[in-house]
This record gives sequence, C-alpha cells and structure tokens, in this order.
Amino acid sequence: MISTSSQSLQKQSTFATADEMSPRIRRLKERLYVDRYPLSIEKSRWQTQAYKASDGEPQIIRRAKSLACVLDNIPIFIEDDELIVGQGSAKPMGLELDFYAGLWPRDEIEGLREAGYDISPQEEAEILDMNAYWQKFNPLSRLGEDASEEMWGFLKSGMVLPPWKSRTDGPGGGYAESGLGLGPGFYLMTVDFELALQKGLLALIDDAEQRLAAIEYAEKDALERAHFLKATIISLRAIIGFAERYADLAQTKAAAEADPARRAELEAIAQICRRVPAHPARTFREAMQSFWFTFLMITPSPTASMGRFDQFMNPYYEADLANGRLSEEEALELLQCLRIKDMQLNRTSGKAARQKNAGMAKWHNMVIGGVTKSGEDATNPLTYLILEAVRRLPTAHHTVTLRVHDGTPEPLMKKALEVVKMGTGMPAFIGDRSYIAYLLDQGVPLEEARNYAIGGCLDVTLPGKSRTAAVGMFIVSMVLEATLLNGVVRRTGDAVGLSTGKFEDFKTFDDFYAAFKAQLRHFLKLHADKNNAELLISRELFPDPVRSVLMDGGLAEGKALLERTYLLENGALLNMVGMINVVDSLTAVKKLVFEDRVVSQAELIQALDANWQGREDLRRRFLEAPKYGNGDDYADQIAVDLFDYWADVAASLRSCLGGAHKPTGISVSSQWPGGAQTGATPDGRFSGECLADGTMSAMRGRDLKGPTGLMNSAMKISQNRYQAALFNIKFHPSAMQSDEDLRKISFLIRTYFARGGKHVQFNVVSREILLEAQKHPEQYRDLLVRVAGYSAYFIQLGKAMQDEIIGRTAHIGAG
Amino acid sequence: MNRSPTSLVDAVGAGAAAPAARADRGVAGSIFNIQRYSIHDGPGIRTTVFFKKCRLRCLWCQNPESQQELPELFFNAEKCIGCGRCEKVCPEGAITLRDGRSWTDRARCTGAGACVEACPQGARSLMGRVASVDDIFQEVSEDAIFYQESGGGVTLSGGDPLAQPEFALAILKRCKEAGYHTTLDTCGFAAWHAVEMIMPYVDLVLYDFKHMDPDKHKQYTGFSNEPILRNAKGIHHELKVPMRARYAVIPGYNDGEENAAALADFIANELDRSVPVDLLPFHKYGGAKYQRLDRVDELAETSPPSEAALAALRDIFLSRGLTAKIGG
Repeated sequence: MISTSSQSLQKQSTFATADEMSPRIRRLKERLYVDRYPLSIEKSRWQTQAYKASDGEPQIIRRAKSLACVLDNIPIFIEDDELIVGQGSAKPMGLELDFYAGLWPRDEIEGLREAGYDISPQEEAEILDMNAYWQKFNPLSRLGEDASEEMWGFLKSGMVLPPWKSRTDGPGGGYAESGLGLGPGFYLMTVDFELALQKGLLALIDDAEQRLAAIEYAEKDALERAHFLKATIISLRAIIGFAERYADLAQTKAAAEADPARRAELEAIAQICRRVPAHPARTFREAMQSFWFTFLMITPSPTASMGRFDQFMNPYYEADLANGRLSEEEALELLQCLRIKDMQLNRTSGKAARQKNAGMAKWHNMVIGGVTKSGEDATNPLTYLILEAVRRLPTAHHTVTLRVHDGTPEPLMKKALEVVKMGTGMPAFIGDRSYIAYLLDQGVPLEEARNYAIGGCLDVTLPGKSRTAAVGMFIVSMVLEATLLNGVVRRTGDAVGLSTGKFEDFKTFDDFYAAFKAQLRHFLKLHADKNNAELLISRELFPDPVRSVLMDGGLAEGKALLERTYLLENGALLNMVGMINVVDSLTAVKKLVFEDRVVSQAELIQALDANWQGREDLRRRFLEAPKYGNGDDYADQIAVDLFDYWADVAASLRSCLGGAHKPTGISVSSQWPGGAQTGATPDGRFSGECLADGTMSAMRGRDLKGPTGLMNSAMKISQNRYQAALFNIKFHPSAMQSDEDLRKISFLIRTYFARGGKHVQFNVVSREILLEAQKHPEQYRDLLVRVAGYSAYFIQLGKAMQDEIIGRTAHIGAG
Repeated sequence: MNRSPTSLVDAVGAGAAAPAARADRGVAGSIFNIQRYSIHDGPGIRTTVFFKKCRLRCLWCQNPESQQELPELFFNAEKCIGCGRCEKVCPEGAITLRDGRSWTDRARCTGAGACVEACPQGARSLMGRVASVDDIFQEVSEDAIFYQESGGGVTLSGGDPLAQPEFALAILKRCKEAGYHTTLDTCGFAAWHAVEMIMPYVDLVLYDFKHMDPDKHKQYTGFSNEPILRNAKGIHHELKVPMRARYAVIPGYNDGEENAAALADFIANELDRSVPVDLLPFHKYGGAKYQRLDRVDELAETSPPSEAALAALRDIFLSRGLTAKIGG
C-alpha cells in the first residue's frame, strides 16, 4: 500500500467511484441521529465544586483548577467502533450546561425541555442552586447593571441580537454545548495546533516550569506571569491525565473484548492515548488523536477553527503512506471518524439566542488549499482526501472551506464542486487575493498573511496570532427605522438615537442620507462600547490558560488571551445584518421620493406604518425601483458608499485590546430574528419579513440577472476592507450536472475572486425549496435551474414543468 | 398553420416600439429574452440573446412564443381573478370576461400591452420587445470579464436569428469587435446570401436537424429540408465555420432508426466526422407556454424518450465514427 503523493493525486478517480460507506462509519453515523439530546450538568457540577474550593485564589488559577477537576472526574466512555476517542460530554450525544454566558432560570429550563432536551427534576433543582452561585460571575449582570440609560435602551432594542429582557439576566439563558474546555466559546480563533502535535504537552510544561523558576519579581507583571504559568502547568497536566484515563479505559475494554479485531483496535487506542498529547505525534493516527484531544479543550465553542488542517496533517499522512503504515482508505476512514466526532459536539442556548443560530449552528471550520507561506500552491494529497471524506460522509459538520488562489489546480476545483453538488453547501470557497489584501492592509507581513485560516464561518484569523473575542449581530435595518422616526427605536419606542429631524422635513436625499449615516455612527459607537465592556469583563472573569498557551509566544509572554495584543489585532468586530435591505430602501427613497417625487414623504411613512396594507400600488413601485444585485450603478453606488462608510466608522472606534474595531459581514441566520424585529421597509419588504441573507447577496428575488449580474454588483464593493463578506448563490443540482457545468462554475468563482470577491458558497437547492418557490414565486425569482439543455429561472417555468423538475430533484439529493 | 407573422415595421408603425427601428432594420430587432449565465449554448460562460421570429412551424416547438416577430400576449389563467381592469383599457376592445376570467380575442390583439400594465395580478405579460443593437450590446457586455476567463461569449438563439439577418449581423459584428466568442443557434432555414453574410462573424454554429425526409420535414415544420441541408454543407465546406449538429429527439416524429441513420450518414458523408452531435431529448416543458398563448399543444400526449431509446440512437452515430452525446 505504498503510494507517493503524485500517485495518490492521480487516484482521485478511483476513490470517486467507491461510494460505499464502511460498515463502521455507517454504524457510527446511525448513532448520531437521536430523538432527544440529553443535557448533562456533570461538567458544571465539578467546575462549581472546584470554584468553591479555590475561593480567594487568583482567577486564572481557579479556572485551571476547575478544568483539572472536570477532566479528572467527568464520566468518560468509548463508543463501539470508535477509532478516535474523547467525548465532549458525560452522556452520548449530550450537551453540558454552562453558566459562563448567562444563567438558567426556570422558564429557560422549561424552554429547553420544549425544544427536545431532557432534564430531570433533580437536575433542575441543582441547576437552580448553581444559578445562585454563578450569579456573582455573571458577565451579563455586570454589563447590565452598570449600563447608562442610553446603553440600556440600546441593549433592550435588540439592535444587537438578541434583545435584553433585564439588566441582570440579559436576554435570558446561557449556553449548553459539548466540549470540555473553559470557554467562553464565542471566540473566533485558530490555536496553533502544531504546538501540541509537534512538541507535545510535556515539552510545554517543561518550558513553563523553567520560565516560572526564572521569573524575576522585580518586574511589574511578574506575579501575573507566575499565575499564568502555574495555571498553564495545572491545565496541561490535567489534559495529559485525561488522555491517560482514556488509555486505561481502552485497556480495560480491550481485556473484556471478545472480538479479536476490535480488541486490537482498543489496544492500539490505549497505546496512542498514552503517547499523545503528552509527546509529539509520530503517525497519522497519533496526530488525529492528539488533534482531537486539543480540540476538546478549545471547545465548547461554535466557532473554534480546525485551522489549515491539510497543511499541518499532511506530513504525517504522507510519511505513513510511504512507510506502508497506513493506506489511503484507512486515512479516509479516520477523516470520516473525525467528522463523526465533530457531529457528536452539540450546542444550544437560551430561547432568545437559539433563533439567531438556527439548527445547532456551529463552524468548526477546516481550511484547506490556498498558498504556502512562500506563495506556492499548498494543495497536497490530504486536501483531496478531506473533500472525499465529506463526499462519502456528507454530514453538516465539520465545515470545510477551500482557499482559492490563481494557481489552485483545476482538478481540486472540480473535486470541490462535486462535493458542493451533493447539496451539503460545502466546501465554501474563499479568495486568497482578497483575504491576503485585507491582512496586508492591517500591517501583517506577507508570509504570515499567506498562512491565514478562518474562524467561525468566514472571518479571517492567523493561526496562533489573532483572536476575535467580541462580535455581535447588528441589525442595520433598525437604524434606518430610527432615522425615519427621528431617533426613536420603532420596536421599543425608546429615543436611543439622535434627533436628526422628522423625515417629512428633509428637503433633499443628501440631507436624509447624511442623517442616516449620523445615526449609524451613533449606534455603532454604542455597539463598540458594549463590545469593549464585554471584553473587559471577560478578561477579568474568564482567563483561559489552555487556549492562551496554544498561541504564538504564549509562554514567553506569560499572559492570557485578552491580556495581549496580537499581530492581527481583530479582537472586536462590527458585523452587519440586513445592510442590503437598507441599500435597496435608500435607493428607492432617493428615486421615488426625492428625484421623481412620485410619492410624498408622509405617504411613504403612512404606507410603512400600515405595512403596505391598502397601498399595494405603492409597494409595487418601491419593488420596481433599482435594486442591488443587478449590476445597476444607481443602486450599487449606495452599497459601495455604505460599505466604505461602515469600514471607516469601524476604524475610528477603538478596541480595548489595542487597535480599532474591524468591519465584517456574516449574517449566519440572524436575518430571520433581525427581520422579525424590523417593520416594513422602503425596499418593498413587509414588516417582520426575513432580511437579505449574507452580506454580498441580494435580497431574495430582487436580483434578476443571474449569478454574473449579482457578482457584477458585489465586485464593486471594497470587500478587501472586510474581514469577511458572506455571499450565497442558489443553484439547482441540474445546473451542475456535467463536468463542463462544474468547469463553468469554477470560472465563475475564479473571475469573482480575481476582481475583489471574498467568498462564495453554493446552495444547491433541495426539493423542499422548490416546493416553497412554487408557493411563493416572488421570493425565488433568482432561482436558477437547468432544464433539458438550458438553464432557466425556476419560477418562470410552467406548473407542469416545475412539478417535473421537483420530481427529478428527489433523485439527486444527498443520501 | 398559424397566422402569418406581421412585420416589425408594422409593429413600430403602430407605436409599440422604438421609432429608430423604422429607419434601419439592422439597428433594432425583436427579441424575447436575454439569458445571462447561459452555460449550455456553447463554450464557457455566455449570454444568450433569444430572437423572435422563425419561419419553421415545428409541431414540437418548445418556444412557441418565439415564432412570431411581434410581441405576443402571454396569459396565465391561474392568476386571473376576473376583475375586468384589462377589459376597460384594451384599445382594440379585444378582451371580454368569460366564466369569471378574462378572455382575449387573439385575432384583434395587437400586443400593445395596455392590459399588462393594468393587471393587478401579473397574469398578463408580453413576450417580446424591440431592442436596439446598442441596448443588446450593452447588456451582453456586462459579463465581458466572465467571457474572458471562461472562453465564453454571446449566443444568438431563438426563434431563428437567421430570420432577422441584418439585426443578427449587426450584433455579431459588435461582439466580434469586442473580442467575444460568438455562437449561432439556428435551424438553417434561410437564403444562402444571408448565411454567407453572417457566418464570417460566427465562431460556432449549433445547427438543428429536424428530419431527414423532405416530405416528413414539410409535414412537421411547414417546409422541405432541402435548403437546410444545402446550407449545412455550404457552412461546413465553403465557409468552414465550426459546427455542432443538434438533433432534438421527438418520439413518434423523428426518433426512428431510419431517420437517425440518415442523419448520421449525412453528417459523416456530406459534412465531416469532426462535427459532433448532441441528442436533445424532447421534454414537456413547452406545454404551459401553448396554454398561455391560447394555442393547442399538438404534442400534449407525447412523452420524453427513454434513456434506453436515446442510447440506442446515440449508438447509431457512434457506429459511424461520429462523436455523439446525449444532452446539450
């Protein structure tokens, strides 16, 4: 089974035909589908006990001890068939209830039950007890209780999702997630996985001990550094101990195992867990296990990145292949096991936050491809194998993102598009040109910039050299409302904005536009204040020695994550949701109210108040006004200007971690709750209707010129100034049938990236969506399908033909 | 078979379109759609301009709205609520209410479009508009950067672009000046001088063969295939424009082994084995369009060919050393 890298590249075609999932993967996959997800309070129970026992000690040491207590005591188990071990919860498919981001009052516990989570009455009583203890560490009450009236009005408005219910409890509810690390989870960052893989944790402990011994107490921060190093040593020892527990368990299970094949596997697992992550990994199997133990320590987190996995794992893979220790099929199985492990990590939250991340959303983003630090194409055999693992096991997680540069091989694009075609939405494609341009603009040296990865769904991170710890979902359409209402937030009636004058009194569009910009700057300043307050509270309450030591220079600096300023200092972000609705609205107001003067200001306000009721004629006019997404300069120029303005404002708002706020555009699923909070808008949207998704995407059904027309609009925007710029395109599977179809999509992607595009992902539209499109054609005017021999817009087809296509789709969907 | 097409000049004269069209038929023409990101009408990423007007009247025509040169009313009865607003605005008095829905007397309808504006339900639309060469060139140029990267360009389809030869020529010239790859999708039913005039500006011809038997051809399309076959040979041998042969497989009409063999022989012997063949299976997608034009779909009962039947037909081409594939 010896194969060189070039041979295995040529072999893509052979594994493309092997569709069969191995029986092991099939069984593991079946166990992922459970009716109800068990909630566990084991982790919090041990954590609380450790906290109580360490009262009065430095916070970072208390945190380390609480981690150690959890890792020493939480029940562990190895499931049948597993090759990679390590659970993120005490229960199979379970979630551990956390208290760091909010408490769990009775109504929220009830809400979890309704949402399908099991909680026993005894557990409920214990949760309420823990609420009482964790109240003093509740970051929300610290922010809420000290908030000015203006800030309180802002928190309550929900302009940053979700709206706050009370000064003490915030939006209500905390998080419950799988993963054994300390959190907080919502950091967008990529740790330096190579530290654990290549050096091993014992070497890091050794380094920490030497540094501790060498501390000169003549320095101002000496004590802080000593605490950090002690906490690091406690944490890393605990992680090694945790691996040892798994080694023991595997040994015990092996002794009792009747099946000799499984017994051998368990014995191998025991050996591997004795070796890693304490020591450097020597083989691909050891590297996979070491990686997974590390990953369990940087989760719970919906946004923990898997980094440039193909880059740091390929040396192990190729060496094993060359030595005959591992076959391509075996590596593929391990990669699928990793997908299974990630699927076992679940996530939920309080009611209010649940909506903005619909469907257990998480972005454990594995980044592949791109260029090396020296600018060469970074594609390697593992790059292909990772895609093949997705193709064989098309689960929703982990996410895969492909970095595309000018020299990305066409066979890799083809392979990626074959996976996209299955309807997983994966991989996402990102453009090296725009990402690297952004980093250079931030002062990052070229070699480092070329090594970027992704945190969360699309935000740029530098492995070990950046961490984002504050990002919100800012609903821009609510600022437009507040401008139309002279500074009053429509949803709450609070005058949180500026008095910029009554809409009826504006004489020119320019005056109105200036008022909108002033309001936007005002609200973004409030958002930045909130970010900074949260960062400072987090810094005090939640130092994390584990993630801190896995950053570049962690031990040398001797400081926790939020005590440092990093090479790319993007600690705090300003993220927009619904900007395109604002662009379309302002465009329509400019055209119809101020230029053509076919509608009076008062008339428009009345129609919006009435949610267009009785004014269908007016709504039609506003719908027919120029819209972003068609390459039409009239609308696009407002988009260009507002995206630049947002980036300018961000650059003027300081972050307490150093530097300024960074602009970004990721909507996740916040377009739904954000839309629910926004009344009717002048783009023809109804009150409560979902906002435009993504950042570069047009409002649903408003782009009528296909993907190139939409891209023509998006390419005008200075995306290089943004950390991320989400762009979704919907395709029917029939538009990507032949190799030739895929090649054309590859051209589409390359052209977009060559002209300033940052990201694109393809939603290959399912049968369900087509049925929806039949019911609500006005929302799906951009849905492209391939009809025998040509592509067409779905809603333009006759009913019979639509039915036929829907019938056909059923055969194409992912299995 | 159908009403004879009225001319564009009449339409312009009736005030329906740009007066510029009157002066020179070459600078404006009648189209019914411009399809961006068109990926199945030639190489690379393309924009396809769908011309109105075709002289053939194939029974199985999938774009019946393209046959006439003038804009034509499309009526979606499912959407009509019978409010009668269209009846009031029609300048020809062509619309009446029948059984709670509007009904249009097609003989009197001039395609002026007043009813389209008036309809609150969007049940009425006009298929076709007069567009200038400038307008079309401007729109197709919006995607110029995508053509560059992918080797794509502009496709003229229809209808049949050869039915508006001056207009087609003017667009093709502009596209070639701009360096775009050009494709012409045609059934080839045109005077040789028109073909000769246009082909220097065409990089690829997609050439539709309906039937090889002249009588059957006349029966199904209204005309003999004689000029079509002659033009095909001329394009290939004299003008030397690269060609793909397209064979729309219509069960019960032209899917016989004998016809396929005749076509394969024609391509192999009278043209060249280098001409690839695309077998395009009949589909049911045109049916709704006939309804919306208040016309009868002659092939309502016909089903798409089976995969096995298509494969057997393809093999006939392969057996003659030709390149053939199923689908566009």
